[in-house]
Amino acid sequence: MADTVLAVEAVAKAFAAHKVLTDVRFRVRAGEIVGLLGPNGSGKSTLLNVVSGFSRPDAGEILFRNESVAGMPAHRIARHGLVRTFQLPSMPHRMSVRQVLHAGSREGAGLFDAFTPRRGDHSQVDVLLEQFALTAVADQPASSLSGGQKKLLSIALALRTKPKLLCLDEPTAGVHPQLRSRMVELLRAFNGRGVAMLVVEHDMHFIRELCSRCIVLDRGEIIADCAPDELAKNERVVEAYLGKSVERQKVLA
Amino acid sequence: MFEFLIHVAIMACLYGLLALSLNLQVGFAGLVNFGQVILFGCGTYGASIAFSHQLGPVAGIALGVAFALLVAVAFARLGRNLGADYWGIATLAVAEVLRILANNETWLTGGAQGVGGIPLLFGDMPRPAGPLATLGLCLALLLAAWWLCSRLTGSRYGLALKLMREEPQLAVSLGYDLSVLKTQTLMVAAVMAALSGFVFAHYITFVGPDQLVASETFLIWAMVIIGGSGNHLGAIVGAFLMQFLFAFVPFVKDAFQLPSEYVAAMRLTLVGGGLLAFLMWRTQGLVPERIGGRGNG
Repeated sequence: MADTVLAVEAVAKAFAAHKVLTDVRFRVRAGEIVGLLGPNGSGKSTLLNVVSGFSRPDAGEILFRNESVAGMPAHRIARHGLVRTFQLPSMPHRMSVRQVLHAGSREGAGLFDAFTPRRGDHSQVDVLLEQFALTAVADQPASSLSGGQKKLLSIALALRTKPKLLCLDEPTAGVHPQLRSRMVELLRAFNGRGVAMLVVEHDMHFIRELCSRCIVLDRGEIIADCAPDELAKNERVVEAYLGKSVERQKVLA
Repeated sequence: MFEFLIHVAIMACLYGLLALSLNLQVGFAGLVNFGQVILFGCGTYGASIAFSHQLGPVAGIALGVAFALLVAVAFARLGRNLGADYWGIATLAVAEVLRILANNETWLTGGAQGVGGIPLLFGDMPRPAGPLATLGLCLALLLAAWWLCSRLTGSRYGLALKLMREEPQLAVSLGYDLSVLKTQTLMVAAVMAALSGFVFAHYITFVGPDQLVASETFLIWAMVIIGGSGNHLGAIVGAFLMQFLFAFVPFVKDAFQLPSEYVAAMRLTLVGGGLLAFLMWRTQGLVPERIGGRGNG
C-alpha cells in the first residue's frame, strides 16, 4: 500500500526455546498513531527492538517506507527515519541537557564538519527545550533530570532526527500528570506535521487520547487490531488482561 | 641544569602528545585503550626502519603514521563486537603481541638489541641550540595537537563522541554509526602518538622493544587520570606534572641519601600512588571536564 509507512509480515523471534513473537503482522499508515498494548511479558518491547533493529528477527519481513529493514543495523534504520525511545531512558551525566539535544541531530556532526564554519541551530534546540518544558534545566547534567523529564528529553531527541515513524516505549511511565498532558499535545502537534507513531503504553487514557488504532499482543501473538473504544468489548483482550471468564467470576465473587 | 630542564620539557611535550591522544580516546570517546604504547611504537619503529634502510626522516614519518593507522583500524575492527572492558584487554594483548614481534623479528626491527645511532633532528646545530630547536618542534607539535583536539571535541563531532562514551545505545538510536566514530577517533589519536614516537626516536637516537612495555601505557593513563580525563589541558598538565616529578626524584634521593635503586621504585610509587589517590579522592582530576555551556552547538 502506498500510504503504508511500516509493514510487519510474519515476524518471529525466540530466545532459546522461548518463543517471544509468533507470526506477528501489522501495518502503520502514514500519519497514524498506533497503540501497542499487551500484558507484561507479551513481547511489546521485543517487537519494538526487532522493528528498530536492536534485535534481529528469526523470520519474517519488515518493510519501512517500502524498503526491507529486517536485520539492518539499528543506526541505519534510524537514518531511514524509524526512530525509537527506550522504556527506561538513561541520559549522560557529563553532558548538559542542551548538549544532548544538540547531539540529537547528526547534521554537522561529521569529523570534517569540525573544520568548517559552524551552522548553528541554537534556535531549533531552544524551541524544543521550551516545548518540552526543559529550558530551566537546559544547562544541568542530563542524568540529573527526573524520570519524567528524561522521557520528555528522549522524545525531543528522537524528534531532532526528523523521523517519519516514531516508536515510543512506555512514554508516560513515571511522568507527572501535567507533563503527561503536555506530552499528548506535543505528540499530536508533531503527528500533525506528518510523523507517524507506534506507542507501547499501559495507560488507557493516554491511548484513547492519542491513538486512532490499537494492536494488542499476548504471548507474542497479535490478538486484536481495532479502535481503542472497541478494546473493552473484545473477549480475547479482556481474557489476556483479566483471565478467562470463569476465573474472572471467581475473582469477582 | 638548563639543558636538563630542556630535556625534561622535551619529554613532557612528547608525553603530552601521548596523553592528548589517549585522552581523545578515553576521555571523549570512552575507548579504554590499554595498548596506547604500541601506537607510539609505530612512530619509533617507523623512524628506525627508515634509518636502517637509509630512507630518510620523511619516509620515517610516513612509515610510522602508516603503521599507526593500520594498528588503529585493527583496534577498531577488534572492538566491533566487544564490550569496552574486554576491548581494553584485547588492545593490551595486541600491543604485547606487537612488542614481542618487534623483539624477535631482528631482520626488520633490530630485535632485542634495538637500533641505535638514529640521527638527531637538529644534530648539526651547536648545543644548546639543537635541544632548544627540538623543544621548539615538540612544543609546536603539542600545540598543534591541542588545537586539533579542541577543534574536534568543541564541535558537534565532539558531542557525538561524548554521547557514544556515555550512552552508546542512545547514540545508535539517533543514527550514529559507532564503528565509524571509533575508527576515526583511533586514527586521529594514532597519528598523534606516532608523531610523538618518531620525534622521540630521533631525540633519544635509539629504538628498542623495551620502550614499549605495558607500564608505559599505564604511565600515560596516570597522566590523563591525574590531569583530568575529558579535558585537553588536564592531559597536558598531567604529562608535565608527572615528567617534572620524575625528573626531581633523583634529587630527592640525593637529599635523603637513599640508594640508587630507590629511584625506579619511587617513580613507580608516584604513578601507582597518584593513580590511586586521584581515583579515590578526585576522580575528575586536576582540571575537570567542563559540562554544559553553549559550546559544541
